[in-house]
Amino acid sequence: MTPSRRQVLRAAAAGATLVSLPGFLAGCGPKVALSTPTLGANAHFALFGVDAQGLAGVMAELVSSGADAADLYFQYTRTNAATLEDGVVSSASTTVDQGVGLRVVVGDQTGYAYTEDLSVEAMKGAARVAASIARGKAALPPQAFTPVGQPASRYTLALPWSEVQLPQRLERMERLAALAKAQDPAVEKVVVSWSDSEERVLIATLDGRLLEDLRPMSRVWCQVTARRNGVTQSNSSNLAGRRGIDWYSDTNLATLAKQAVDRTLVLFDARRPPAGEMPVVLAAGASGILLHEAVGHGMEADFNRKNVSIYADMIGRRVAPEFVTVVDDGTPNHERGALNFDDEGTPAQRTVLVDRGILASYMHDRMSAKHYGVAPTGSGRRESFRHPPLPRMRCTYMENGPHSREEIVASVQNGIIAETFTNGQVQIGAGDYTFYIKNGWLIEGGKITAPIKDVNIIGNGPEALRNVTMAANDSQLDTGGWTCGKDGQGVPVSQGLPTILVSRMTVGGVNG
Amino acid sequence: MDELLDRARQAVADARAGGATGAWAQATRSRKSELSVRDGAVETVRSATSRGLSLQIYAEGRYSAHSTTDLRPDRLARFVSDAVALTRLLPVDPFREMPDPALFAGRSAADLSLVDPAVGAVSPEQREAWARAMEARCHGDSRVISATAGVTDEAHEGAAASSNGFEGSWSSTAAWLSAEVTVRDAEDKRPEGSWYTGSRRLSALPDAASLGDKALAEALSRLGSRKGPTTKATMVVDPRAGSNLISRLLGPNNAGAIAQGRSFWAGKIGQRLLSPLLTITDEPLLAGGFGSRHFDGEGIAARPRDILREGALATHYVDTYYGKKAKLSVNGGSPSNRVVKPGMADLGALLRQAHGGVYVTSWLGGNADPTTLDFSLGIRGHVIEDGKPGAPVGEMNVTGNLATLFAGLVAVGNDPWMPSSTLVPTLVFEGVQFSGA
Repeated sequence: MTPSRRQVLRAAAAGATLVSLPGFLAGCGPKVALSTPTLGANAHFALFGVDAQGLAGVMAELVSSGADAADLYFQYTRTNAATLEDGVVSSASTTVDQGVGLRVVVGDQTGYAYTEDLSVEAMKGAARVAASIARGKAALPPQAFTPVGQPASRYTLALPWSEVQLPQRLERMERLAALAKAQDPAVEKVVVSWSDSEERVLIATLDGRLLEDLRPMSRVWCQVTARRNGVTQSNSSNLAGRRGIDWYSDTNLATLAKQAVDRTLVLFDARRPPAGEMPVVLAAGASGILLHEAVGHGMEADFNRKNVSIYADMIGRRVAPEFVTVVDDGTPNHERGALNFDDEGTPAQRTVLVDRGILASYMHDRMSAKHYGVAPTGSGRRESFRHPPLPRMRCTYMENGPHSREEIVASVQNGIIAETFTNGQVQIGAGDYTFYIKNGWLIEGGKITAPIKDVNIIGNGPEALRNVTMAANDSQLDTGGWTCGKDGQGVPVSQGLPTILVSRMTVGGVNG
Repeated sequence: MDELLDRARQAVADARAGGATGAWAQATRSRKSELSVRDGAVETVRSATSRGLSLQIYAEGRYSAHSTTDLRPDRLARFVSDAVALTRLLPVDPFREMPDPALFAGRSAADLSLVDPAVGAVSPEQREAWARAMEARCHGDSRVISATAGVTDEAHEGAAASSNGFEGSWSSTAAWLSAEVTVRDAEDKRPEGSWYTGSRRLSALPDAASLGDKALAEALSRLGSRKGPTTKATMVVDPRAGSNLISRLLGPNNAGAIAQGRSFWAGKIGQRLLSPLLTITDEPLLAGGFGSRHFDGEGIAARPRDILREGALATHYVDTYYGKKAKLSVNGGSPSNRVVKPGMADLGALLRQAHGGVYVTSWLGGNADPTTLDFSLGIRGHVIEDGKPGAPVGEMNVTGNLATLFAGLVAVGNDPWMPSSTLVPTLVFEGVQFSGA
């Protein structure tokens, strides 16, 4: 409830996860027919226990006091999770989360209600509350809902999670734990957390569109505790995506285990860098956290529509050197931030935020697009049926630059290179952002030297963009499970970066 | 309430009938209403009605946990039978057992004052009137770009039952007021300031308009914020910011973290590692507290206990499973209300006593390592000038180790921030590493 325009990003926490049923329980009874990628509206109606006539009635109630736009967002999510500790899968969980969110938009005003009870009476009751935002004449509900045809899904799985058997998951978890344990005799404890989910979405809009999607998500997390000479250190690594069980291959699990152990063992020798301003090199991949915090949130159009973002008057202005192009993209297949269409039914797209150094476009939902008189960018996202959509990031990354990683490192006399991160945050209006470095290295005399740990970085967004003085040709998206928080809503995102140099940021180090 | 208890009992019975050797079920429902006003117009009206069932299954050393919001009878029956079937597919874990029923005994019957019927009677018109009153006052300066004020009221009910004799129910209400203001500053910067408060009782809320004044003052206090110097100095932490530090300090003080070797606090009971000024109690029976309860999530009867006594750790939080694993006696694995024992002076007096340094009003990002307590946090605040908050500073970090930081705690205020389950007054630390320009 704390009001805050500070947006947060965290590595997907092992917090509340959602759902159950057929997949996890393969072999335990008849399957519910949920496994095909597209169901067709009728099957979705059956899943949610509604029909076209019922929907029309609820929509009529929803717009009974007027509406510029309105939608019903049905969601049914099943999540399977399990934890392995001390060599044993000590718990498993399944969660079913279903409900409908009802939204009315009038100008910049939003009425929103949700219910987990999908009876027509309960939905109409919720609709009346949402409708109270409007004070006008009833809008005309659609005569019929027309399914919107869609191209092939960006996250079709070879084997849907609903058809994966429990022993297959357990076998992958046990393999990962064994791989991590075998890396080094100093490894004392390994915890493996598993989560996979299937989310079914059905959107019905006031203009009569009907859209459906099946959104898979999975993540495996490897936490390691090691002990050496009486000192204990712990760290972790994780692998995630809109991926199936084939993603957790022997090769990928071996890489994950090695990463988790390497990141832990290096802490025994790691220290704090000096405190204060210095050049910071951001290694390719997860360092995209810089873009997410320093640029991304401030470019979400709701903040700009309200005039409260530091970027509110900067479209068309030069904000970075010519070699800097920053993109927010819903189209990369199987990434956490990938979407077929957003949570308002707008097709996902690639949105250029900074085009060769010039601030090019905000990220829009339908409300902000209407305000600015532009097309929505497919950025309207919500955590679940419990929340109205907001402009949000998807996969945010910087394109390749003209330099090489070697050149960049060699150019730094005294600074650091940041490699792994746990979380970040930003204040939209002041533009101050932070991110927390878990692992990194000192750079001394153009060479990478001693390991560093546990350092917060703080800076100002527009200033950081201006200070990107070099960018390499090794851009990549991180494969970790990042979750972005805004207004109390968490959504899965991806981030990426080539190796870059920011000439000056404040490093939370320690002086003599 | 009887309906919720019946639903929980039924789920336990169904799980037993399906083959579970033990089961714990919890049924909940809640409602929440929110209204916000931005720049003179109602911006959002939100309403939520929620319900759910969660179920924990024990089957001969196997364990699983399940929850659903799909309560249609046919789906629910299938949900329970599937949950039992799933549990049987898991490997045996010798440490998995239901909570000891002996720990259910001795439950307090004290009235915790968690429910105010007036909260449920707030009308949409009242919400709008309060939000408008706050929002209007937020605009009391020509530099204000935008202001938003919100009112939220909510009510929660739940009941739980277990196959080994636990039954219990709970309910609570709460109402919240919040306001947020953005002002125009140099260099296109638009700093924001906010204020919020909340209570389980409607009558305990302050005059709504006064909240708008506070949010506006917060925003204006950020104008001209600069990066302060890199230095070692005194840090005075505002009561609103203290719970972040206490939560990070005590976060790893539980049997789960200890069992997995991820706790600074393992084996440290009785060692005086922190300042003797720091005493923290866990007080589940606090009237009107946001963490108050008669029993915890395992049904263990709640009792007040010392967590830190004059700088020495007194108690770990120990739940049934990890207690067995870490060979610690089970006493309840999660915090209720954590209360830092207050000192004698308030923020103003402690600032007057400080010789320079930084007054921290809020954090920005940062993290701490639970195993080592090494930490680094972004800050916003003011330099302390002539014993008062002076020029605003931001874009700075504080870095160190939380155990070392709290060893350097030199004063504790008498002014805890109340709308929280972690009640922390002003804290004053010496020798803190700040990084800035």
